[in-house]
Amino acid sequence: LPAGLSQWFPALEVLDVSGTGLTELGEELLALPQLHTLLAKNNRLGGPGSLPKGLGQAPLGRSLRVLNLSGNRFAEVPPALLELHGLQSLSLGGNRLHSIPPEIQELRSLEFLYLGGNFITSIPPELANLPFLNYLVLCDNKIQSIPPQLAQLHSLRSLSLHNNLLTYLPREILNLVHLEELSLRGNPLVVRFVRDLTYNPPSLQELAGRTIKTRNVPYAPSDLPENLVRYLSLASNCPNPKCGGVYFDSCVRQIKFVDFCGKYRLPLMHYLCSPECSSPCSSASQSSTSQSESDSEDEASVAARRMQKVLLG
Amino acid sequence: MEQPVQTEMWKAQSLEELIRILHRIFAEDKVSVEEVQELMESYESNPEEWLQYAKFDQYRYTRNLVDNGNGKFNLMILCWGEGHGSSIHDHTDSHCFMKILQGNLKETLFEWPEKKGNGEMTKKSERVLRENQCAYINDSIGLHRVENISHTESAVSLHLYSPPFDSCNTFDQRTGHKHKVKMTFYSQFGERTVC
Repeated sequence: LPAGLSQWFPALEVLDVSGTGLTELGEELLALPQLHTLLAKNNRLGGPGSLPKGLGQAPLGRSLRVLNLSGNRFAEVPPALLELHGLQSLSLGGNRLHSIPPEIQELRSLEFLYLGGNFITSIPPELANLPFLNYLVLCDNKIQSIPPQLAQLHSLRSLSLHNNLLTYLPREILNLVHLEELSLRGNPLVVRFVRDLTYNPPSLQELAGRTIKTRNVPYAPSDLPENLVRYLSLASNCPNPKCGGVYFDSCVRQIKFVDFCGKYRLPLMHYLCSPECSSPCSSASQSSTSQSESDSEDEASVAARRMQKVLLG
Repeated sequence: MEQPVQTEMWKAQSLEELIRILHRIFAEDKVSVEEVQELMESYESNPEEWLQYAKFDQYRYTRNLVDNGNGKFNLMILCWGEGHGSSIHDHTDSHCFMKILQGNLKETLFEWPEKKGNGEMTKKSERVLRENQCAYINDSIGLHRVENISHTESAVSLHLYSPPFDSCNTFDQRTGHKHKVKMTFYSQFGERTVC
C-alpha cells in the first residue's frame, strides 16, 4: 500500500484490500485515525510482520472496530491483533490456526468472532471472559471438547460448532438461555450416541463387587488379593440421585434428549448402573427410550441436578 | 412420425423480465418444471437488480420476499453469511427452484426417514451449486439441507416456491424426528419486516 495513504485520505473509514495478494499490512495504515473497518480477506497474510508494529498504540489501533482477515495463511493469532481493545468484530475464518491464545480475552469489546475453517483443537476457557460476545463461530475445526466455562458467555446468541470432533457436551451448556442458534451436526458426539446404545451385561466379578459395595460387606486388604482391593476402590456411584447403586465397568449409556431453548434437542450423556435404572428410579423394567422422550420436557429444569459431564473413550 | 412439440425456451434479460415471464407462465393451468428451471437459469445475475432485496443478518440466513406471484408462487432472495446453513427440511408439497445469484451453496439431499425410524438420516447426495445454476426439488425427490460452506464469501440465492407455503418440517439428522416450523420473511419487497 502506498506510503502516503494516511496523508491523502485522513478521513478514510472503510478500506477493502481483499484479494490483492498482500503479504503484509504495513505502517502506512497506522496513522488512519478514522478507519473503523479493514477488510483484508483472501490475501497472503500470515507470516511474521503481517500486521504493522505498534498497532495497539497507533490511531488505527484505537479506531478499528471490524477486522476481516479470513482466507489468509495465519498459523497463529498475531500478537499485535490482541492489542486492539476496541475491536468489535474479528474474522480469521479459513486460515491455518491450530489454537486460540488465552490472551484473546484482551479483546474486551469483541462481539463477533469468526474462527470457522481452521485446525483448532481446543478452546481456551479464557474465551469466556469476553463479556459482549454474541456470535461465536467455531465450525469446521478439530475441536474435541467445549470448556464448561463457555456457559458464562451470557450474551451469546449464536454458537456454531458443526463439523468438529466433539465427543461430549458439558451439561453447563444448558445455561446459555439466550442462545438462538446452535449448530452441532457433523460431530462424532452424535454418531456415537446412536451407536453406543447397546448394554454389555455385568460380569460376575462386577456383580460381586456391586453386592459388596451396596450391602457394605466389610473387608480388609488382607482378605482379598491386591487387584480385587483396587477394583473395589474404583466403584462409581450411579448418577441417578434416586438410586443408591454402584457400577464398575458395566453401565448403561443413556441418551436423554434435552429440549434446549425450546428449539433444539441436545443429547447429553450420562451413565446409569443398569437399564432398569431410569428416572424416576423404579424396579419395573421400562423401555428406556420411550421414558426419556416423555421426560424430556421436564429435563431442562432438572438437568442441572441430574446431568453429568461424561467422557467418552 | 410425430415430432415432440418444441416449447419455447425463455431468456430473461433482467430480474424484472424474469418476474414478468414467471407471471405469464404461472397464469396458465399447466406449468412445466423444465421451463421454469431453464428460465431461472437463463437470467444472468446482475447485483444492481437485486441488491435492494439482499439484506443480510449477522446470525443466520435471511428470506427476503421479492414477488408474491398473484398467489401462484413466492419469489424470494435468501442471503447467507459465511458458514450459514439451513436445517434439513421438506417443501410442503410445493415445487422449489433455487438459483445462485452470488457465491456458492452446498446442497445435501436426504432420504425421507422411515415412519418408525429412530436412526441417523440417510444422505443421498451432495453438490455445490455455482453462480447462475438453478436447482429443483420437491417432496417426492427428497429432503435437503442448504449451506454456505465458505468462510470468506457470502452467498445470495433466488428461490421460487409454488404454491407458496409458510410452514414446513425440519428434521433432526441424528434421529429423523421432524418438527413443524413457521417461516417468516426478513424483508418484503425491499422493506425490513419487524417481527
